[in-house]
Amino acid sequence: MLYRESGQFKTSYAADQAIFPILQDKVIVWGFIVLVFLFPFFETTGDLKSLWILLMVNAMAALGLNILTGYCGQVSLGTAGFMGCGAFAAFKLASEFPELNIIIVVLLSGLASAAIGILFGLPSLRIKGLYLAVATLAAQFFLTWSFIKIPWLYNHNTSGTITAPPRTLFGQQVTGPIPGRGLSAAELDVIKRDVVISQYMICLVLLIVFALIAKNLVRGRLGRSWMAIRDMDIAAELIGIRPLRTKLLAFAVSSYYCGVAGSMLFLFYLGSLEGGEAFSINDSFLYLFMVIIGGLGSIAGSFMGAAFITLLPILLIRVPGWLGLTIHVETVTHLQFMILGALILFFLIAEPNGLARLWQIAKEKLRLWPFPH
Amino acid sequence: MDEAAATAEDHTDDKAGPATGEDKRLGDILLKVDNISLSFGGVQAISEVSFDIREHEILAIIGPNGAGKTSMLNVINGFYHPQLGTITYKGKTRRQMKPHAAARQGIARTFQNVALFRGMTTLDNIMTGRVPRLPDNLFSDIANIFLQAVWLGPAKKSEMEQRAFVERIIDFLEIQAIRRVPVGRLPYGLQKRVELGRALAMEPDLLLLDEPMAGMNLEEKEDMSRFILDVNDEFGTTIALIEHDMGVVMDISDRVVVLNYGRKIADGTPEQVQSNPEVVDAYLGVGHG
Repeated sequence: MLYRESGQFKTSYAADQAIFPILQDKVIVWGFIVLVFLFPFFETTGDLKSLWILLMVNAMAALGLNILTGYCGQVSLGTAGFMGCGAFAAFKLASEFPELNIIIVVLLSGLASAAIGILFGLPSLRIKGLYLAVATLAAQFFLTWSFIKIPWLYNHNTSGTITAPPRTLFGQQVTGPIPGRGLSAAELDVIKRDVVISQYMICLVLLIVFALIAKNLVRGRLGRSWMAIRDMDIAAELIGIRPLRTKLLAFAVSSYYCGVAGSMLFLFYLGSLEGGEAFSINDSFLYLFMVIIGGLGSIAGSFMGAAFITLLPILLIRVPGWLGLTIHVETVTHLQFMILGALILFFLIAEPNGLARLWQIAKEKLRLWPFPH
Repeated sequence: MDEAAATAEDHTDDKAGPATGEDKRLGDILLKVDNISLSFGGVQAISEVSFDIREHEILAIIGPNGAGKTSMLNVINGFYHPQLGTITYKGKTRRQMKPHAAARQGIARTFQNVALFRGMTTLDNIMTGRVPRLPDNLFSDIANIFLQAVWLGPAKKSEMEQRAFVERIIDFLEIQAIRRVPVGRLPYGLQKRVELGRALAMEPDLLLLDEPMAGMNLEEKEDMSRFILDVNDEFGTTIALIEHDMGVVMDISDRVVVLNYGRKIADGTPEQVQSNPEVVDAYLGVGHG
């Protein structure tokens, strides 16, 4: 960046191994966190839910997938399926134990997903790469099938959809249908806005905490074992890493993240969903694209990829409007596919480490700027 | 840090014992390879090879290409399972072993083609070598997830201890400047050195080096020879190495085992081996001595 680490000497290994060893970085990150917490109070265009909460859910899922694919090198096409496990677990938990705090429900729902993830991770001991991707594809199809065919999961209702029950946190309703009887439209708007702001806050806190945990996991012993398996599994085994256990831990942690993302999607974004539709194979691919474009093996990359793919369609719709052009919705959808496809090709060929690597290169260049060397 | 280094040196001095002469330095038999035969389908890679390695010894395994040298190392650290024969390591006899179990018992290894974790930095690569020195059971692994997630308490403490240990290896191998460089970007000679560092981080009792000097220039070979001798001297590590540079082999090894077509044809001091007519015939060639 424009600033350097010069003059900031480290006197302990703990300080040297901090996440942001440079003071300026730390200040910028804290500033950014304060900004995103204040953001909903100034945001008036109504994008809070449709854009920013969705972005946070996607970032959470991308984090989970990046742990598995980016750090441990196990390609997974079952992300949406694992998210579905989280969503349905949250639904079952919330309906079986109505007194349970909604945050506890979210955290526990990830465990169900982690258990399923371990189960479908077992083949990873024997198969690798593309073949493992096919095995996780089987998980994806099996899971979406069970979301439709096992009525117990949606409490035997006729429509097969699950709906978030109304729940409050600190006296504020955070999920479920809003009781609107006998209220004027203006009053209802105020209530709705409060609900959305509280949903935004919950998602934001969860995302920050889980991103921090992810960073801690990958910078320590566990993360090194994952990366060792990813980079050279035979050498990893010869230096004492147990391949199966390490891979299964990656599957468990990754699926946990995906499960939490799924229950966030269900409780704080969609409110009600149908398992076969909300967690389809297309979504799994989309999450894979997020981590590829954002950067395999990078926490920041997960955020960049999620932001890119979530914001791309919105920008495609709005930018022509800002420029005074009219663009057909269908054209936007086509454009979205074309741009996405082209970008994935570009990143796979030119920069397999994605936006995160481009950002890193930019930082290194800026460090020396305006000098070339 | 200094204090820790000092105690560690004292410790290794004890281990190495009084170094009053080449032969007195050697301890008991650390590893005994007995009558090992290994074949892949119809190809007999190793047939009925027996030899032993004594503590603190530097043993060279030499022979022409395809003689079964690398296969022999793979058998020792559990990567290949021989059809016949046994391996006695630290008094325990076994036929088969999982590679990670061998690593935990103190057998470390470097590879003919550098097998570093390319996406990781030098520091992370060597830190990964600490794995066999950390607790190995499912419970502690799961507990570690939670401790590491909050980066507090034992997880952080252990991390800093490992870092301090790894920094001593980095100092020892003189690679301070490339600590934060992803190893994929390093030149070949340095990669070999980092790989040695990763093996050393395991605090091995037996270090298997597969062509540590392949593809190096004279200066790099001298550096590497010095590191190998220093490791043997300072840490008392037993070393078995495969090498094709006869000058290096004859200089640094205490004993030489010669393989040819999967059979052992000679075993003895460098002088004995050099004058063995069968070895000259099969490998060294006439006129080189």
